[in-house]
Order: sequence, then C-alpha cells, then structure tokens
Amino acid sequence: MKYADSFKEMEDKGFDIGQAVAEANRCLLCYDPPCSKGCPAETDPGTFIRKLRLRNVTGAIRTVKTNNILGGACGVLCPTPLLCEKECSATEIDRPIQIGRIQRFLIEHSWELGFQPLERAGEKKKEKVAVVGSGPAGLSCAAELAKDGYQVTIFEAKPKPGGVLRYGVPSYRFSEEFLDREIEDVKSLGVEIQCNHPISGREGAEKLLKEGYSAIFVAPGLWEPMRLKREGKELKGLFTATDFLASLREGKHDELGKEIDGRAVAVIGGGSVAIDCVEAAKRLGASDVYLVYRRSFAQMPAEERERIEALQTGIHFLLLNQPVDYVESDGSLKGLKLVRTKLGEEDASGRRRPVEIPGSEWVLDVGVVIEAIGSKPASDSKEWYPSVKTNEKGLIVADEETRKTNVDGIFAGGDIVRGPALVVEAVQDGKLAARAIKEYLSK
Amino acid sequence: MSGKVDLSVDFCGVKFINPFMLSSSPVSNSAEMVARAFEAGWGGVAYKTIVTDRIPIIHPSPRMHGYHYGDKRLVGLQNVEQTSDRGLKANLLDIMYLKKHYPKHVVMASIMGFSNQEWYDLAKAVTDAGADMIELNFSCPHMTVEGSGAKVGQVQELVQKFTETARKASNLPLVAKMTPNITDMNEPAMYAKMGGADGISAINTVRGISEIGLDDWVPRPNVYGKGAISGYSGPAVKPIGLRFIAEMALNEELGLPLSGIGGIETWIDALEYFLVGATTIQVTTGIIHYGYRIVEDMIEGLSDYMVSRGISRVEELVGKALPHLVETDEFDLESQGITNYDLDRCVGCGQCYIVCNDSAGQALEWDEENRRPRLIEDKCLSCMVCSFVCPVEGLITYKPMPKGWKRQETVTLGKELESQLKL
Ligand SMILES: Cc1cc2nc3c(=O)[nH]c(=O)nc-3n(C[C@H](O)[C@H](O)[C@H](O)COP(=O)(O)OP(=O)(O)OC[C@H]3O[C@@H](n4cnc5c(N)ncnc54)[C@H](O)[C@@H]3O)c2cc1C
Ligand SMILES: Cc1cc2nc3c(=O)[nH]c(=O)nc-3n(C[C@H](O)[C@H](O)[C@H](O)COP(=O)(O)O)c2cc1C
Ligand code: SF4
Repeated sequence: MKYADSFKEMEDKGFDIGQAVAEANRCLLCYDPPCSKGCPAETDPGTFIRKLRLRNVTGAIRTVKTNNILGGACGVLCPTPLLCEKECSATEIDRPIQIGRIQRFLIEHSWELGFQPLERAGEKKKEKVAVVGSGPAGLSCAAELAKDGYQVTIFEAKPKPGGVLRYGVPSYRFSEEFLDREIEDVKSLGVEIQCNHPISGREGAEKLLKEGYSAIFVAPGLWEPMRLKREGKELKGLFTATDFLASLREGKHDELGKEIDGRAVAVIGGGSVAIDCVEAAKRLGASDVYLVYRRSFAQMPAEERERIEALQTGIHFLLLNQPVDYVESDGSLKGLKLVRTKLGEEDASGRRRPVEIPGSEWVLDVGVVIEAIGSKPASDSKEWYPSVKTNEKGLIVADEETRKTNVDGIFAGGDIVRGPALVVEAVQDGKLAARAIKEYLSK
Repeated sequence: MSGKVDLSVDFCGVKFINPFMLSSSPVSNSAEMVARAFEAGWGGVAYKTIVTDRIPIIHPSPRMHGYHYGDKRLVGLQNVEQTSDRGLKANLLDIMYLKKHYPKHVVMASIMGFSNQEWYDLAKAVTDAGADMIELNFSCPHMTVEGSGAKVGQVQELVQKFTETARKASNLPLVAKMTPNITDMNEPAMYAKMGGADGISAINTVRGISEIGLDDWVPRPNVYGKGAISGYSGPAVKPIGLRFIAEMALNEELGLPLSGIGGIETWIDALEYFLVGATTIQVTTGIIHYGYRIVEDMIEGLSDYMVSRGISRVEELVGKALPHLVETDEFDLESQGITNYDLDRCVGCGQCYIVCNDSAGQALEWDEENRRPRLIEDKCLSCMVCSFVCPVEGLITYKPMPKGWKRQETVTLGKELESQLKL
C-alpha cells in the first residue's frame, strides 16, 4: 500500500468557514464585477462572494451551484490566475481574492450543511435527451436539462462517470470522494448515468435520434494519445500519459511503482498533463525525473505556478531538446534519443519554433518514458457520428454560441470541439448546448 | 428558489411585500433613487425627511465621516446631514410618482415641522400626495434649526402635541421616529401613542464623537475647522437599537407595532430586530456601505432561514427572543461552567494565556516547550475572554459543569505579601 498512500488525499485542504469569510471580506465588491466576466462558465464570483460577505451563505452556495453544477471541481481545478482572479481589482492593492478556494469552500460547506440548493424539476417533460460522455461537458449539459424536467440519459464508456476528472487528474489534486459527491448532485436532479455503455458502431449516435431521443449532446473528449513514433511502439517502460494517469486512478499504484521506483524517468511534453506525470512519477519513487521539452521554459503551455512548483520539487527540466527515438533492448526501454534545439521564428501558436541543431544527437539514460504530447479524438469516433462535420484535426465543428453541429438535433462540446481545454470551458459548453437544446425542443 | 417564501407583513395596517425598508436619509432622497431601490427588492421606503420651504436647508460640508476599525471599513458612520434640502414641491411630486409606478410598495413620508402649524401642513401635504403612511421625525440629533429634531423627542409634551396635530391633518398611519439619546424610550413612545401614533420606529442616530484629527484637534467630520457632537450610525449602534426595540416590545401598555433601525446590513441583523419585536426594519448605513443590492441577500438569507426552520410568516418570528430576555437578577447562579480547550487544533500563539493572566482568573499555565496552554479547571471564571482572542474557530468553547461543582476561592494575598503590609 505504500505507493497508494501518496495518492490518497487531496493535498490542498481548502478553506474552513473562518478563512473563507476572511477572504471574502477582502473582496472590494466591485461594481460590474470584473471577476465574473473572467469566468468562462458564468459562475458569477462577484455575486457569490458578495453573498458570503453579507452572511447569505446558502444564497452564495445557490449562486455557484445554479451557475455551475461542477462548481466544486472548478473551484479546485480551474487555473484561476488565468481566469477570474486575473481580473480581480484587489490585485491593484495587494493580491487577488482567492476566488477558486472560496468557491470550493461553498460547495464543501453545502455538503456539510446538507443544503441542496437545486431542486428536482416538479414536472417531467416528455422529451428524452441522450448525452454521450460523462465528463464535465456531459454532466453540465445533463444537469442543466434535468433542472427543467427533461429526461436525460448519459452514456459512458468507462466503468465510472467523470471523464478526465476520474481517469486523468491525479487523485492528490482532485479526489474520488469529492468527485463522487459532486456527481451525486447531478444525479439528484434525476439524471441517469449508464456506465460501461460506449456508443459505437455504425451511426451509433445518430441512431439514438431514431430510438426516441429528441436531441443528442456529444462530449466524448479526447482519449487517443498522440505518439512520438507514428507506429506507436510497444516497449516495456514506455507509457502514454493517458494510460499512465488512468492506471493510477484505477488503483494500479503497486504495478506502476514496481516499474518506476528507483529508476530514472523522462516525461515528454510541456503542458499540464506532462506536469501531472512528472509529479506522479516522483511520488512513485523515481530516482530522477526529467521533463523533456523541445522549446524553452517561457513557451511551455503549463501554467506558471505548476511549472515553478515542479522545479521546486526537484524535477529536472530538460529544455530545448527534441525527442526523436527510443533506445531499446529485448523489448525494454533503455534510453531516450534527443536532439538539441534552438528557438527560431514564431509559429502559428505565436511561440518561437524549435529548430533542431544538426549533429547534436545524444541519449538520455532512462528506464521509463511517459509520452505526454497531446491527445486526439478516438480513431473510431467518426464511425459513430459519420454525418457530423469535423475539421482537419478530427475535432467536431460546432457553433460557438449554440454548440449545434451540422446535423439537426446533434450538439457537441468540451474537448471534442475545442481541443484540449479546461473543465470550466467544458461546463460552459454543456450549458450553452442545453440552452440551445431547450430552444430546439420547444419549437 | 427561495423566492417562494412569502415575506409579506402587515405594519400599522399597511401591507408590505417584504419587511425591508430604506430609512429616511440620503438613500431615500429622491424618486429616482427609491425607484431603483424598489427594483432591487426593497419593500418600502421611509422617504428622506421633508420640511416646508420656509427655512432653507443647507448641509454642512463635508457632512459625513466614516469610522473604520483596523481594516474593517465603516463599522460606524458619523453625519451632520440635515433634513431634505429639496423643495417641498419636488418631494411631493416624487411621492406621487412613486405611488403611481409602485402601487405595491410602501411609501412612508418622513416629515419634520419647525412649528405646530408646519407639522399640520406637512402631514396634510404628504397625505394629499398619496403617501401610504407618515413618519414623524422627532429624532434628528444635529439639526441646525432651533427647537427641532431630537430636541422635540426629548420633550415628551411636544411629542404628544405634534403627533396630535399630524393626526388632525391626516388619517394615514402615523409612526413616531424616536431618538436613542434618552434614558427610557418608553416615555416619549407613550406620549406619541397618546397623541395618536400607530407605530414607533427607532433608532435614529446616536449622539457621538467618532474621531478627532490628531493634527488639527478637530472632531470629525471637520467642517472648516469645526466639529460637532452628532449622529452616529452603522453596525456599531446595533446593540443600542436592539435594546430600545426590545424595551418597547416588552411594554404591554405601549403595544404598538415597531420598525427597527440601527446597524442593519445582513438578514441576520434584520432577523435579530424581528426577534426582539420589530415587524419591519429600516436601513441607511448598510446601503451607504454596499448599495441597494444588499436587499437581495436579506431576502434570500431570511427566506432560506425560514424554510430551514419551517417558518412560513415573518410575523411568527416577531418578538420570539423576548421570553428569553430577563433582568439579570433572574439568572440561575447555581449553574456554572468552564472553558473547554480542543488542544489538537492549537497553533500555539499563547494569546489566551496573556488575557487570562491579565484580565481573568489566572487559570492557564503555559507549557513553554510545547507552546500550549494548560487549564486549571477550578480556576476558570468562564468569562470566555480567551475564546474571544483565540484565532482558531471553535477551539475554545463553553462547558457546563455538574451542579454543585465549585471553583477555587478568588485569589487572596499570600502570607508573604500579607506580612509586608503595615496595618
Ligand atoms: C491529465 C489531465 C489533467 C487536467 N487537469 C486540468 C485542470 O487541472 N484544470 C482544468 O480546468 N482542466 C484540466 N484538464 C482538462 C480537462 O480535464 C478537460 O478539458 C475536460 O475534462 C474536458 O471535458 P469533456 O467533458 O469534454 O471530456 P472528458 O473529461 O474527456 O470526458 C469525456 C467522457 O466521454 C467518455 N466517452 C468517450 N467516448 C465515448 C463513447 N464512444 N461512448 C460513451 N462514452 C464515451 C469518456 O470515457 C469520458 O468519460 C486536464 C486534462 C487532463 C488530461
Ligand atoms: C447621512 C444620514 C442622514 C440621515 N437623515 C435622516 C433624516 O433626514 N431623517 C431621519 O429620520 N433619519 C435620518 N437619518 C437616520 C437614519 O434614518 C437611521 O435612523 C440611522 O442612520 C440608523 O440606521 P443605520 O444604522 O441603518 O444607518 C440619517 C442618517 C444618516 C447616516
Ligand atoms: S459619493 Fe458622490 S457625492 Fe459623495 S463625495 Fe463622493 S462623488 Fe461626491
């Protein structure tokens, strides 16, 4: 059990009521609160912080939960320094209000109080809606529709609901218990979740429309890892971030621990997922953990806070190095072949492009490599929504305001539309789609 | 949503959609402002005190001073503002406008005469303008006009006389607004009742000096080198307001409906006023601090509270604290208790040790090595001062002790000190 121990609990303990009120008391209660504009899901922090400040605690809980059914998850996981807190006027005085932590507190406090601000719709509507995927986008859309009495069924391929929240984000950042409670809030609205129920096969989603569902929300996320080598090597010691993190959430700590403990590990990538991988590898006892990234520190997509924390915990940042291949023997990984790079012109993403330095190949001595270089739509996904329009990356094309696809009655949102995005953005897509679905069904 | 709860009340025979009112002050200065307040959710208004045009009203400048304590802003507010400085006609038109556009909201016109005739004229004028009720302002503590405001409220006969005059001029419910700058509010309240008042509102501002400039030695607000003892309001005066409302609510002979004022910001403050006997409440400083929007939280907070307690009408809450309010000589002195320390959560600051030593029973010892207090139970006076300074919520609590438990005798001088006394 020793490996599992460091994955058990959420590390950040959150606020107690005294701390939350003290933090709310720092709020300037701005006119036309800028923080509220900074929230992609319209959770409206300006209002819930004011409510907390004026001792209307239940009202504050109601505001969060009405606007954001995953208010707790967002409170924990949102990169707030880039969102609501970025807009906070108090920053001009000293530092922003810790909005995420207040939001998380309110949801945990609602559980403690047994206060359920959302009521199940009195009257059921006759229309049934199907949601594919129980990630944040699917949960949010389902909750929003159920509140108005629509009969919603979520179809989920995996054994448990939650999407990345369950099978991606490491448990020391977001615990199973917290997730279960928040999903319970969704279920209490009358949403039915059918797990182990992948939508697949020819026209799987489109068939649902003929089977009595009046509208479909497609939110399967991105679960197919991109690979360094096109053929996708099978090597002992080689993992994709998707599998590595999912295995941890499935409780396979000992199995992974055995492979990682005492070994040098390289994680390829510069995003948040790569950061989660280096951190988890460290906890599993890796002797050295390298974060290998082909550009420089400033170009890494991971949040600054995370990057600095990783540096401080002793992760070796191997920047300006492009992985090119693996060194193997007898089906086991022995090292990572790298080429040094330098920064060239800006590319389409506005970041300076890595340019390989000829003749600079070298081998990093590692026993384990985790590829965290992105993920894409499952390769079979086009099969189950063949008429839905997709773009060159395989992402579904959906209207920005309504999340409508080109197919009447099919809506889509979350990562499958945006590409790798955020929980809070997935929540917003669910809300937007639900609004549009209601309008579509009332016609 | 909590909007389902019916918060309506009956006050002096007038129906309110909810018991939350603006009190008479700058927050209720014009129809445009009051209309916005109604839109925000306020159920009624005590319109800024109206006077005749005979004596022009000029406000001192600056007219307010905010009293901040540490980083907590506006725990109190001091003002030298006068009654409305707008023309009588403008105010009457505003009242007409409000009644036309907000027939379900209550407009209580606050008036102040500078002579008996003026009380008559004003009562008649606001009645003709369509006000729902009249508030008689006997209580402004800093009028610059001789013989008005609180000067009236402190002379019982005048309270009765002016109320009678207003009664003659109008059939509307009359609410007498009282000054807290007296010893017993029941006395003037009874005179108001004898004059024909239907209800009492209290409190107006408390006479005080909130701060003095250290450079210029001028009490604030500094009106061109001069300060005055003047009206103090806001959270700091709530205990005083609650006391006066409770005292009048307990007075069966008075028996009039009450409107509670003084330091209300949240639904909890409002609820406390209901519990000691008020049927409606009024707010100024809370709005000066946060704006009209606070009513949203009053409505939602009170509604959620009522749902959680299974209470369907505000009236069911009115006066509910009064049976528990006694004179101190009625306390059961046999029952005693001590503090209870949950030391697992102690952060080791030692503030409890300091205050127990310097202001209480010297009931704590200090474990220097572990930085923890140790309680000598039978020395604890249960004054609770240690819990007031403890930074950890709920670490120090009160624990009742079994009947018959005794604490140590109070400290006496030891033998050695005693011997040093030359008697
Ligand atoms: C490791 C990791 C860490 C992250 N950390 C953060 C963070 O800290 N903060 C943040 O804001 N964002 C974070 N993100 C991003 C965030 O999790 C995603 O943007 C978000 O989960 C997208 O939600 P979604 O509902 O679109 O998809 P997902 O969460 O991917 O959920 C999709 C669901 O659909 C199911 N599904 C797929 N195909 C089918 C099918 N055919 N039939 C039925 N069900 C199907 C999947 O099993 C899954 O449960 C992180 C992402 C990862 C990978
Ligand atoms: C600036 C200011 C002006 C006021 N003017 C009046 C007034 O014209 N008539 C009146 O009856 N009370 C007046 N008051 C008193 C308030 O109506 C109220 O009784 C008092 O401020 C206590 O309530 P609060 O603590 O909510 O402010 C005034 C108060 C303030 C702060
Ligand atoms: S609040 Fe408005 S009126 Fe009062 S001093 Fe400031 S600017 Fe002037």
